[in-house]
Amino acid sequence: MSKVEAILKQLADVAANPKKAMDDYKAETGKGAIGIMPLYAPEELVHATGYLPMGIWGGQKQIAKARTYLPAFACSIMQQIMELQCEGAYDDLAAVLISVPCDTLKCLSQKWKGTSPTIVFTHPQNRPLESANKFLVEEYKIIKTKLEKIVGATITNAAIEESIKVYNENRAVMREFVKVAADYPQVIDPVARHAVFKSRMFMEKSKHTALVRELIDEIKASPVQPWDGKKVILTGILAEPNELLDIFKEFGLAIVADDLAQESRQIRVDVIDGEEGPLYRMAKQWQQFYGCSVATDTKKIRGKMLMDMVSQTGADAVIVCMMKFCDPEEWDYPVYYRQFEEKGIKNLMIEIDQEATAFEQVRTRVQSFVENM
Amino acid sequence: MYTMGIDVGSASSKVVILEDGQHIVAAEVVQVGTGSSGPQRALELAYEKSGLKRADITKLVATGYGRFAFEDADKQISEISCHAKGIFHLVPTARTIIDIGGQDAKAIRLDNRGGVKQFFMNDKCAAGTGRFLDVMARVLETTLDDMAECDAKAEQAASISSTCTVFAESEVISQLSKGVDKNSIIKGVHQSVASKACGLAYRGGLEEDIVMTGGVAKNAGVVRAVERELKKKVIVAPNPQTTGALGAALFAYEEAKKMKKEGLE
Ligand code: SF4
Repeated sequence: MSKVEAILKQLADVAANPKKAMDDYKAETGKGAIGIMPLYAPEELVHATGYLPMGIWGGQKQIAKARTYLPAFACSIMQQIMELQCEGAYDDLAAVLISVPCDTLKCLSQKWKGTSPTIVFTHPQNRPLESANKFLVEEYKIIKTKLEKIVGATITNAAIEESIKVYNENRAVMREFVKVAADYPQVIDPVARHAVFKSRMFMEKSKHTALVRELIDEIKASPVQPWDGKKVILTGILAEPNELLDIFKEFGLAIVADDLAQESRQIRVDVIDGEEGPLYRMAKQWQQFYGCSVATDTKKIRGKMLMDMVSQTGADAVIVCMMKFCDPEEWDYPVYYRQFEEKGIKNLMIEIDQEATAFEQVRTRVQSFVENM
Repeated sequence: MYTMGIDVGSASSKVVILEDGQHIVAAEVVQVGTGSSGPQRALELAYEKSGLKRADITKLVATGYGRFAFEDADKQISEISCHAKGIFHLVPTARTIIDIGGQDAKAIRLDNRGGVKQFFMNDKCAAGTGRFLDVMARVLETTLDDMAECDAKAEQAASISSTCTVFAESEVISQLSKGVDKNSIIKGVHQSVASKACGLAYRGGLEEDIVMTGGVAKNAGVVRAVERELKKKVIVAPNPQTTGALGAALFAYEEAKKMKKEGLE
């Protein structure tokens, strides 16, 4: 097995088995893990406690128990998370951090069925205002106090600064990885690309950074090969499961960039350096964040952002991975769809249902799309 | 030169044999689809009708839901591309296609050279498809063939939801038990199918000519309901069940020509 293959396998194993990743971390550090619900949270605060921030992004379960608490039209990922909660899948977590930028999350945050304590906080939506930053600092202070109580230790500013550094480094290396994946689609196929992203949800970030750094250096040692397939950009909440990504692979699609909440939106904006305290700078990161359906944007720049990504990467098309019943994403769609049509940007929408077991419809859509590109 | 297209659908199997990419020498339909004896029987019918055998067919393209399960094909092409190809061949002025098949519905936008500009398909749901009509025909104790006629006799359409086949079925039953006229219920059922399919067509934007195809296009009641919903005239593709297979046969012809050209060079 080559070094590249070995690193990819290591990351894929973590992505496929988060429970083991968490248990290993606990055994190694003697510390626990804290769940991070989608979509965005000040993970640096959790990291600063020495606990492992564990992303919670659903699974592939058949939904039964969740029906007691959620209507059939709640988004697919929250159905999964509710089902897993009911099964006690998250009960090993010392706490769960929940942001509530959409209606579904608001409801879910009020009826957590696991046994771990929850810390719920709000992202301000009138983001350009300075008062939004101040509000978010107060929210972060509350999170910090609650975390301190749960882990039984004080979180110092120095520790937060160190965590910010670790996170900024990880975001930077992942942005570099996105470019490498675009240049070397023969090496990084859609499944491998996703595993590199997903594993960062379940690993201590400096360890993840080190592995991805090594991966990039190894890959870059070989020359770039021409790609005779098509190049696409993905947008949406997430693109799972692997069966879906296998279809992209089957029809020769390279993912040259993404705007997925689970992937590149997590690494889009760093926490800036500056004189202000760490919580304020972390709050500012939310103000500077852009291009996401749950971060209010009165100018609706997402379409333009995606079109810029198309021209920068030379992508042939954008694939919209529409999370089933995600209302924020559904609201954004007609706006950027119209912009795509006006500018002649090829686009395809596929529905993401984490419960899905059959993929024939998606295969037909993707095949038709590729045939007509 | 003969080429063949086979459309292995969920509810039926269709075969078209083309001579020189122009003349249809056989177009056969068997009303069972993938996983059944349908594809084989449709093939046999087409051979019988044309007097040809497999060795006479230069290229064979499979399309439809069961395209990958049909092993004898030279190539598999998606039904979206094949319907677009077949329709444009038959109706070169077509710009919007509404295709309602056994288990899915699609709206396809074409450019003026027949290329697929955009398409939308229904999501894993039988509402608005041929299957929906099958279920309703059974509950209403009628046949698919009689439904269009009953629809024509109805004065008004009963309200039937378009979101879910199971709910719609219970709505139909409750309308029946309330004594609502059966013809009106049938008209309502057609309206429900039409509104679902038109929802897809609206997504891609409407441009005329609008052509309906797929097995359900044979039902004049649904066609009228689509026209009422879109407030536009709709052309029904000739032999609508076989347009996908025709498109596949046309693709097969292009492949064969390409091969011949490469062979000559
Ligand atoms: S943003 Fe969308 S996918 Fe995420 S929780 Fe809300 S509705 Fe669900």
